[in-house]
Amino acid sequence: MPVTLVKEKYPSKVGEVVLGATAAEGGTRTSVIRVGGDGTLPFLQFEGSVENRPIIAMEVTDIVPPWNDTIKEQFGDVLGNPVAMAKKCVEEFGADAIYLKLIGADPEGENRSPEQCAQVVKDVLAAVGVPLIVVGCEDPEKDNEVMAAVAEAAAGENLLIGLAEQDNYKSITAAAMVHKHNVIARSPLDINICKQLNILINEMGLPLNKIVIDPMIGGLGFGIEYAYSIMERARLGALAGDKMLSMPMICTVGYEANRAKEANVGAGEFPGWGELQDRGILWEAVTAAALLQVGASILLMRNPASVRLVQRNIADMMEQNA
Amino acid sequence: MPQCQVKFMPENRIIEVESGTSLLKAASKAGIYIKSSCGGKGSCGACKVLVISGEPQVEGTGNLSPEQLSQGVRLACKTFVQSDVTVEVPPESRLQEHQVLMGDVQKGLLKETEEDMMEKFGHDPLAVKVRVQLSEPTLTENASDWSRLSMELKKVLHAGAKPIQIPLTVLQTLPETLRQANWDVSVTLTVMESGYTVTHVAKGNDIPPYGLAIDIGTTTVVVYLVNLLTGEIVDKQGTYNKQAKFGDDVISRIVYAVESPENLQEIHQAVIDTVNDLTDKIISRQNLNFNDLAVAMTAGNTTMTQLLLGVDPRYVRLEPYIPTMNDVPSVPARQIGLHILPEGLVHSFPSVASYVGGDIVSGTLVTDMANGEDIVLFIDIGTNGEIVLGNQDWLVSCACSAGPCFEGGGITFGMRAMPGAIERVKIDPETLDVNLKVVGRIPPVGICGSGLVDCLAKLREAGIIDRAGNFQLEHPSQSARLRATADDKEFVLAWAHQSGGEKDVVITENDVKNLIRAKGAIYAGIRSLLTMVAVDIEMISRIVIAGGFGNYLNVHDSVQIGLLPDLPEDKFQFIGNSSVKGARLALLSQNAWKEAADLGHKMTYIELSVGTTFMDEFVSALFLPHTDLSLFPSVQG
Repeated sequence: MPVTLVKEKYPSKVGEVVLGATAAEGGTRTSVIRVGGDGTLPFLQFEGSVENRPIIAMEVTDIVPPWNDTIKEQFGDVLGNPVAMAKKCVEEFGADAIYLKLIGADPEGENRSPEQCAQVVKDVLAAVGVPLIVVGCEDPEKDNEVMAAVAEAAAGENLLIGLAEQDNYKSITAAAMVHKHNVIARSPLDINICKQLNILINEMGLPLNKIVIDPMIGGLGFGIEYAYSIMERARLGALAGDKMLSMPMICTVGYEANRAKEANVGAGEFPGWGELQDRGILWEAVTAAALLQVGASILLMRNPASVRLVQRNIADMMEQNA
Repeated sequence: MPQCQVKFMPENRIIEVESGTSLLKAASKAGIYIKSSCGGKGSCGACKVLVISGEPQVEGTGNLSPEQLSQGVRLACKTFVQSDVTVEVPPESRLQEHQVLMGDVQKGLLKETEEDMMEKFGHDPLAVKVRVQLSEPTLTENASDWSRLSMELKKVLHAGAKPIQIPLTVLQTLPETLRQANWDVSVTLTVMESGYTVTHVAKGNDIPPYGLAIDIGTTTVVVYLVNLLTGEIVDKQGTYNKQAKFGDDVISRIVYAVESPENLQEIHQAVIDTVNDLTDKIISRQNLNFNDLAVAMTAGNTTMTQLLLGVDPRYVRLEPYIPTMNDVPSVPARQIGLHILPEGLVHSFPSVASYVGGDIVSGTLVTDMANGEDIVLFIDIGTNGEIVLGNQDWLVSCACSAGPCFEGGGITFGMRAMPGAIERVKIDPETLDVNLKVVGRIPPVGICGSGLVDCLAKLREAGIIDRAGNFQLEHPSQSARLRATADDKEFVLAWAHQSGGEKDVVITENDVKNLIRAKGAIYAGIRSLLTMVAVDIEMISRIVIAGGFGNYLNVHDSVQIGLLPDLPEDKFQFIGNSSVKGARLALLSQNAWKEAADLGHKMTYIELSVGTTFMDEFVSALFLPHTDLSLFPSVQG
C-alpha cells in the first residue's frame, strides 16, 4: 500500500541575509553568500523551498588561540598569523567564510588597540575572497571601540559583526548602520529576549534582513537540547510569520563543543572514552550535525577534521528529497 | 515587670507600658500609628523615631546611618523601653490619612460608569424595623410577652410560615422594655431565607434601620452607612487598616498572625478596631446609636475575612493554599465585637480561593457580568491583581501577584495616593522638562501608582528608556535630569528645591524594571485566563477596572506600557471601590445576597502557579508594551 506523506504548509519563511559584497556592490569579495530564506523546516524539500545550504565559517584568531593540541597541530605554523590562517581555512579546508575573533584586543591580555584590530581585518580581507564574520574579545566596552573601528575600516564589505546583546546593542548597531554591515544579535537561550533584542535593534533603524540570530547554544552533552528547543521555537515562529524571529541563526559550534571536557582530555585519564583524537573531532561534528537539524544557517567551527565531516553531512542533507 | 512612662512628641502624650515593650507597640497603645512595612522585623526602616531623652535598649538599627544613630534616630520596632523615655515621631514615619477610595471617582480624570443595580435586584433588605402597638395583657388575654409580640410581628411582616425567633439576650430584657414603652415598640429583625430573628426591641420610634457596608482592604477600610429603608448612602468614612503595623501585605500579616494565639487575637482586634472607629465617627456625626445599626455586610480578601472573624489564616499562605472556608458564616456582632446591634448579623461575602476573595465576588456582583451573554473582563488592581473573566454561563478567576509597585512599594520614591504624591507626569521629549500633577497640589514628595504608569509611558515616549526598560543616558537632550549614580541610573522628576523633601524625587532604572514586572504580571494573568478558556481578546465586550488604583488610571498610558489590553477606550469602565458597592447591594437586596453566594460557587479558580502558561506569558510581557507587538497594534514605535 502506498504511503502518503503528510505535508505541512507554512504561511511564511525564514528571512534571507546576504554576507559580503563584491566589487560591483561596493566591496572586494569574490563572491557573496546568502543564508536563510527557507520556507520549511530544515532540509524538508518535499514540504517547502530550501533556498540556501547551511554554511561553515571557520574560526581564525588574531593571536595564538588557547586551543588544545589536536586542533592546533592541524594548523601548524599559521597560528598567530591571521592572514595565513584564513588562507589555509579557505584554500585547504574549504571554509565558506571566515569567522575572525579579535581576542588580542582583550584588555586583560595583549590589549591591542582598535586600530591594530581594524588592520588585521583589512589584511584578512585582502588575503581571502570569502565573506567575513568579525567579533571582538567579549569585553563589552572594549568591543564597542574595536567594532566601531572595524566597521569603519571595512566599510562597504557587508561584514557580519558582533555581538549585539540586550544590554549592549546600540553602539554596534549604529556602526553597522553607518558602514553597511550585518549584525549578530545574541540572546541567552531565551526566545523572548531574542525577539526583544531584534525589535530593539530594528527600531534603531537596522533592517531585519541585516540581523542574524545567535541563540547561544550548549555543546553536545552540555545543554544542547535547550538550544535545540529554543531554535526550534524560533524556526517555527519564523515559518508562522513572526517577522521578529525570522532571521537566520548562527551557532558557536567550535567554541561550545571544545569547551567540553570530552573534547579535551586524553584516553589516559578516561580509558573508556577512547582516543581524544577521534573524540574531539566527533564532539564538534555531532554538535554541528544536531544544530543543522534544527535550522542553523551559519556554523562557526574550529576543528578542520570536524569541518570535513560536517561538509559531507551538509551535502548529504541537501540532496533533493522532494 | 516595672512600668515605664513613654512620652510621645509633638503630641506630648504620655502612656505607661511594661519595661521591655517596643516603642512601636507603645506608640500603637498611645494611638499613634507608625509605619511598619516589614511588620516589625527591623528591615524596612520605615519606623524611624527620634529618642529625645531616656536610654531605651536598641536591638537592631537596620539601615540607619551612623550619622542618624548619633542624632538619636532609632527604629521603633527594634528599640525597647527600659526606663522613662521621650520620643519624637516625625511626620514621615506616621501612617497618614490618605486618599481612601470611597467609591466615587474624582472628577476630570476618569468617568465612572454608575451601575444602578438596585432596580434589577429589587429592594428587600437583610434587616427590617417595624413599629408595633401591642395590646396590654389582662387576666383573660394572658398570652406571654413573646407570643404577644411574635403574633403581632407575623401579622405586620406577612411572615406566613416563616418562623420568627428571638435570642436569649433580647428575651431577657423584653418584659421591661415592653412595659416601659407602654407596649408601643420598634422591633429590629434580621431577615434570612430561613426566617426572622428579633435583634432589638426598643421604645417606639421612627428612626429607620441602618446597615453598614464594609470593604476590608489590606491597605484601607471603607464603611458606608446605608439607610435600609431608602437605600441611600447616608455617610461614608475610610481610613487605613490598623493591621498595617503588622506588615504591608497579606503574607506578612499571616506570618505575624500565626506566631502565637495572642498575635492572632491582636491582629483580629486591629481590624475590628478599625471598623469600629469608622463606625463611631459616622454614628456620632449622624446622631445615631449603635442600636440603630441593624446589620453589617463585609467584603474583603480571603485573609482579611479570616482575620476579621479571628480564624487562623496559616494555610492560606502554605502550599497548596487552602482557605479555612469559602462560604462565611453570618455571626452576631457581639461575637466579634463590632459596634452594631449585639445580635445584629455580620455577613461576609464568600471567597473563591485563597487569593480570590469576597471583595472580588462583591465586585463581580457589581459588574453584572454574570447576567448577560457578553464576555466581560473584570480586573481589580491592588497588591494582587485579581482577574475575573466570563459571562452568564461561565466565570473563571485568577490572582497574579503584581507586587506592591502600584501602591508605591518597592519603588525608590513610591508612595500611596496621598497628598504630595505625583499622579500625572508629562515629559517634553526634546528638552526632558517635566510637568507634574501632585495630589493636594503641594510640592511632590513621591509618586503613586497612577503617576508611575504615566511616568513609564512618558519615559518611553521621550526615549529615556528603551522597550526593555534600559535607561538611555546618551539622550540627545543632554538633560541634567538623566544621570548615572553609583549603582543605578535615574531620571529626576522634581529637583530637591521644588520637592517637599530634602532630596531630588527620582525614578531609577531599577524602579522601571520593577514596574515592568508588575505590569507584566497583570497582563500575563489576563492572557493566561484568555488562553485557558480559548477566548480571543477581541471577544471581550467590556473591561471593568476596580481598585484604589483603577480609579485614577489613564487608559491610554496603560495600554502604551502594556498593562491593559489594546482595546478601544470605550470598552473600559471604571467602577471604583466595587467591593463596598457590592456590599451595599447585598445589604439592600436578598436577591443580590443570594446571587453573591451563587457567584462564589460559580467561579472557577485557576491557580496560575500550576503549569507553564503564566510564566511564558509573564516573560513575554516583560517588554514595553510586549514582546509580541502584534498584541498592541495601536502602540506606535
